[in-house]
Amino acid sequence: MNLLSNSIFWQLVSRSIRTDYLENLTGFAWLILQPLLLLAVYAFVFTTIFKARIPDADLVGFVPYLAIAFWPWTAFSEAVLKGSNTVVANAALIGKVAFPSELLPLSMVAATFLMHLVGYGAVLIVLQITGIDIHWSGVLMAIPVLGLLCLFACGFTLFTSALQVFVRDVAQILPPLMTFWFFTTPILYSLSILPQGMAAWLKWNPMSWFVNRLRSLILFGDYQPSWTDLVLPLLCIAVFWLGLRFFRRFSGHFEDFL
Amino acid sequence: MSRPLITVEGVSKFYPRVHKPWERMRAFAALAAGREPQDGAEVLHDVSLEVRAGESFGIIGENGAGKSTLLKVLTGVISPSRGSVQVDARVAALLELGAGFQPEFSGMDNVRMKAALLGMSPRQLDQRLDFILEFADIGEYIHEPVKHYSSGMVVRLGFAVVAASDPELLITDEVLAVGDESFQKKCINWIESFLNNGNTLLMVSHSMYLVQKLCHRALWLQDGRVQQEGDVFDVTQSYLAWHESKNAQEKGLRESTQGTAGLYSIESFELAGESSEGDVQLQVGDDIQAELILHAPDGRPPVGLIGIVRADGTPVYGVATDFDGVKPEKLGEHRYRFRICFRSPGLLPGSYSMRGHAMDPEGLRLCDTAECRVRILGESRELGFVRLPHDWL
Repeated sequence: MNLLSNSIFWQLVSRSIRTDYLENLTGFAWLILQPLLLLAVYAFVFTTIFKARIPDADLVGFVPYLAIAFWPWTAFSEAVLKGSNTVVANAALIGKVAFPSELLPLSMVAATFLMHLVGYGAVLIVLQITGIDIHWSGVLMAIPVLGLLCLFACGFTLFTSALQVFVRDVAQILPPLMTFWFFTTPILYSLSILPQGMAAWLKWNPMSWFVNRLRSLILFGDYQPSWTDLVLPLLCIAVFWLGLRFFRRFSGHFEDFL
Repeated sequence: MSRPLITVEGVSKFYPRVHKPWERMRAFAALAAGREPQDGAEVLHDVSLEVRAGESFGIIGENGAGKSTLLKVLTGVISPSRGSVQVDARVAALLELGAGFQPEFSGMDNVRMKAALLGMSPRQLDQRLDFILEFADIGEYIHEPVKHYSSGMVVRLGFAVVAASDPELLITDEVLAVGDESFQKKCINWIESFLNNGNTLLMVSHSMYLVQKLCHRALWLQDGRVQQEGDVFDVTQSYLAWHESKNAQEKGLRESTQGTAGLYSIESFELAGESSEGDVQLQVGDDIQAELILHAPDGRPPVGLIGIVRADGTPVYGVATDFDGVKPEKLGEHRYRFRICFRSPGLLPGSYSMRGHAMDPEGLRLCDTAECRVRILGESRELGFVRLPHDWL
């Protein structure tokens, strides 16, 4: 099945994007406005109230350091949380129409990433305008990294959305779990300020690689590959493959449990 | 013989018990271990059927007999617990009006989604959009959110997209019952031309009239099992007879009578007049007299319905005894006679049929039909088929 030429998939993607903005007065302008407003809030909170300082971020300032990691994380976390609900939420459709139901979580993840990509772009441009040195060739190289993050989110969401059909508690467990994951990922801080033992543990968090890689590419123009750059793509593919297998293993029985 | 489009072999379907969380967990654990759930409610039991290309096939049965579940298995919405299903055609299924319609979105958006679900590419949809809009005939409402639609409009739009998807096999559940008279007619015309083009229909309906009109073969499901399968008239008649006897049983009125227990039937239906080659021949303006004798197994007086149709089946006039408050003449314990005279009926020359029907005493269900052909002789240059009293002023 070729996802990109599947018209059901694109219909679902356009549907989930429009559901969020359909009834708004300004419509799609919020795609850009909302991230910029959030950026302003973080700038205020972390430079005026907290005066946060991180040794790694001294060169670029805390706000860009946070912003580069924060939007990909938001896209990931929102995609997982929304995507996990899709199978249960579309029970009526699954019970009446035969179609590959994995398109439901996949399209939700894709839609969420597309929406946040627009905001990410806007944030990068504003950072550049306010005098931060954005490495645009690094931004180009960040695109496959974001693609891998999307693949990782797809695999994870395929697993959770199928599991939620059978174990409804997933809907309650996931939000705190994602918050825990947020704080164990070096988004608000850097691994270098942690105690040695803790930092060693958190290195195993795949999200650490994503945020660090994005920062090094976009903020520091560090394109030097490392061995983890080889392992992570393989991990993402494995997660996606396992998620899809799990989903398909049980998708024939969804209707019985919905 | 044409190729089989649907082959169902020994299909059973269990719904696991999943109301309580621990039941869900147990069923899930069983699934994860690779076992099919076997302890739930059995909705289908060992159902086999084969539908070949060009056939039209009706599925009938009581509420809860498993008809909709069978359709879901056929369309691949659910997988059977046992047995195998093979469907080898471009299928369009209409299981519920507006399935896949999202109320917040406009009719147009929903058409796009539905078309995608039916396997149409965006280009095909563009080509067929005019047809869809014309068929659905809902005007400017197409740009309104579907939540503002009436149920009739939803089913019109749903059917229009299905019709446009050019299926080889159409599977419908009881959906046509919703539209208004003219839309139902449009749908039935479409289905008839669809069948004439060599396509295949599989439908579920409670309307024996529709099933007999559209289907050649039928399957009667009872408690998830195949009760009878075969020619549509055989199956529908035994289904109706079964219903009658069940009703009679419930009322405690069942008596053992002749073969077709519990069914009001026509013993004889005759017209007064000379007949040749099976046609009763009358002159223009002659009275038409008919006599209908009905058999009532439970002894209650049935309702008689007598009417005239043109040779092509267009009804001219019909009237039932309960409309007019007429009681039949009792000839015996189980026999009732109805006589009617249409005085100078004003029918123009041509071929007609008189029809006599037996209905249950409530006048709700049509149980039996008999027909006599009538030829009205004479010469006339008037148009139409009935002369209306008139004066030129």
